[in-house]
Amino acid sequence: MLAAQAVKSSDQPVDPEQPFVLVIAASGGPRIAALNETAEAAGLAVGESLADARAKAGFLQVRPIDAAADDAALRRLTLWATRYTPTASPWGEDNGADGFFLDVEGAAHLFGGEERLIADLHSRLQRFDLLARLAVAATPGTAWALSHFHPASLMVLPSGREAEALTDLPVEALRLSPETATTLRRFGCKTVGALLDKPRAPFAARFPAELLGRLDQALGRIDEPLVPIVAPPVYHCLRYLLEPIFTQEAIVALARRLMQTLVHVLMRDDVGARALRLSLYRVDGAVETVDIGLTLPTRNVAHLTRLIDLKLEALAAAQDAGFGFEALGLAITRAEPLPARQTEFTSLAGDGNRTERCASLIDKLRQRLGPASVRRFRPVASHIPERAEVLTPVADEQPASSWPAPEQTRPLLLLPQAEPTEVMALVPEGPPRRFCWRGVTYEVADAQGPERIAGEWWRQRRSEPTRDYYFVEDTDGQRFWLFREGLYGRETASARWFVHGLFA
Amino acid sequence: MVRNRAAVAQELRRLLPKMEGFLATQTLPFGLSAIDCCLPQGGLACGALHEVVPEPGSAALAFGFIVALLARLPRTHPLFLVTPAYGFREYGRPHGHGCQALGLEPSRLILVETAHRNETLWALEEALRSVAPVAVAGVIDKLDLKLSQRLHLAAMEAGLSLLLLRQAQFLESSAAATRWRVGPAPAAHDRFGLFARARWHLRLERCRNGRTGEWIVEYDHVAHRFCLAAALADPAYARRAGGEVLRSAC
Repeated sequence: MLAAQAVKSSDQPVDPEQPFVLVIAASGGPRIAALNETAEAAGLAVGESLADARAKAGFLQVRPIDAAADDAALRRLTLWATRYTPTASPWGEDNGADGFFLDVEGAAHLFGGEERLIADLHSRLQRFDLLARLAVAATPGTAWALSHFHPASLMVLPSGREAEALTDLPVEALRLSPETATTLRRFGCKTVGALLDKPRAPFAARFPAELLGRLDQALGRIDEPLVPIVAPPVYHCLRYLLEPIFTQEAIVALARRLMQTLVHVLMRDDVGARALRLSLYRVDGAVETVDIGLTLPTRNVAHLTRLIDLKLEALAAAQDAGFGFEALGLAITRAEPLPARQTEFTSLAGDGNRTERCASLIDKLRQRLGPASVRRFRPVASHIPERAEVLTPVADEQPASSWPAPEQTRPLLLLPQAEPTEVMALVPEGPPRRFCWRGVTYEVADAQGPERIAGEWWRQRRSEPTRDYYFVEDTDGQRFWLFREGLYGRETASARWFVHGLFA
Repeated sequence: MVRNRAAVAQELRRLLPKMEGFLATQTLPFGLSAIDCCLPQGGLACGALHEVVPEPGSAALAFGFIVALLARLPRTHPLFLVTPAYGFREYGRPHGHGCQALGLEPSRLILVETAHRNETLWALEEALRSVAPVAVAGVIDKLDLKLSQRLHLAAMEAGLSLLLLRQAQFLESSAAATRWRVGPAPAAHDRFGLFARARWHLRLERCRNGRTGEWIVEYDHVAHRFCLAAALADPAYARRAGGEVLRSAC
């Protein structure tokens, strides 16, 4: 069904009332991978070859299956389902890739119980035109089996009755590979019940490990961890709205209320937020997420609200509210210890406060201008001037205080690329007398050098030529950094000159 | 009571800056009586906007003057340098080792890169209003009177200096407390004839409540100290810079 949903929106429209199939290329011609109800009624089935299907149903709408679009649609839907619980895990290939697990433990009571939760989920999915089969059970394996093979489309199984519920289901309900299932059927084991009370050793000897593994997973004898689609947050707060909201002001106001709720929990645990995620659940099932990183842990509601405001402003162009947002979730994905402090007392000292103000300023700049635009110099152990430092985004690390003491003069401004220049020198290996750069001729009044910097041979196969750097001052008092590339005789016959920097 | 002209002028000079809200803020003296006596409070006012304009082709020198001023500020908190992505486009980008060579520890500097002018203005104002850094420096091309007043006000309320590197062709009337024009001057050499200290030809073009002036200034990056060029090789400089000021300071 999901496959149908994903491809329906592409090229020419499909009439859902008529038989419609998605085909997959296979040996011996294309085969049916998914089909709609009308096609099913016409006697078609998954796995049939397309030629046979065309013969059976007179009029057939055929589209190739698009696995990537299916996958994206499933991820989108799973992301949407995080409105019920933070732990939502889309099914991979081994589960059939056509649904998702929700870990509703501890979340069901918010909706008035498990029955109410799946009823709500079912009705919402129906609004998206998705036919869903839902089951709640104590283990993911049993829930999968019930959702696929139980006659009821909504099913809640009380804990401890897994074996009983599985007894009548076919062996395919254990999520086995087709080969294993076929072999089991040949042995006469058609239902899960036929496996339940049998001795394990003969099965272990004759079948791949997956059989007993899947059985144990379904019965809860071994744990089956779910891989959540987004990292589960440390603290999480979600609010559902009666009427969808559209405007940035409304979102920010609501985010502020959510943050105020979370702050009490943060204070109780003596932690502050380092990373936040604001999830906006759209009415049509899409989810917009806004991630915010902080320089220092904080519990300051006003500051966090301001950051969310700035971020939304920056995203305003890219964001599409659609029919509005019906739920808002605020998650703290990273929390760090932040001991409580007497604010009145420290405000007198003023200094500790200033560090915080600095961090909050950096946060604001990063939200509005992008995280890569607030940077700081970091020294690199290299003699090549352009590699001697990097600009790193200001993050949590403290400023590196290990700047080497300046041994040689270095220019204040470094050109992004050394620019070729025409130089006149008295002797080939001597300092320049006159040079022409960007169309202006400079008479050299004073030249100092050379400072010889050899290429870093360990970096590239082709070693860079040696550079002889000169500090050059022209008659006006402008100061330049020039270098001659290559050593005469040894590396080059005609050396080239470059301007590489400007001194203050 | 009859007061003589000097006493009245003294009194006025004391009262005038007070009306503009200057007096409460701290100053950063150059340590040179020749320059400091031109500035209204005996030093560069901390809560104010200062413009630095390079003479044609001297952007690096003007930026060097800003770096030298920043290096003299207390080391308690970081300095913010806001530049548009195209800020130094013609002349490359600031080099950390070069800042180090001028006495400014590069790790003190936080570089903020903006995409366009509005972002630059926003970042400058935000940095000032947060009262977090020690000082804010920036590169901006066009700045009209309204915007400069706004920035000046933000700097005044925060008590932080805002040093702006401007382009000569975009200059308009502005609310800046001072405007410096920086030009080249032959560097100072030691007794072996090697480069010792950078020298700039400074012109204080505009100075609210103060006087203008012109000097050849030398900067010692180790002591973070300005001094006037001791011996002027070119007598033309001495004539231009007002001989009596230079002589009295030397």
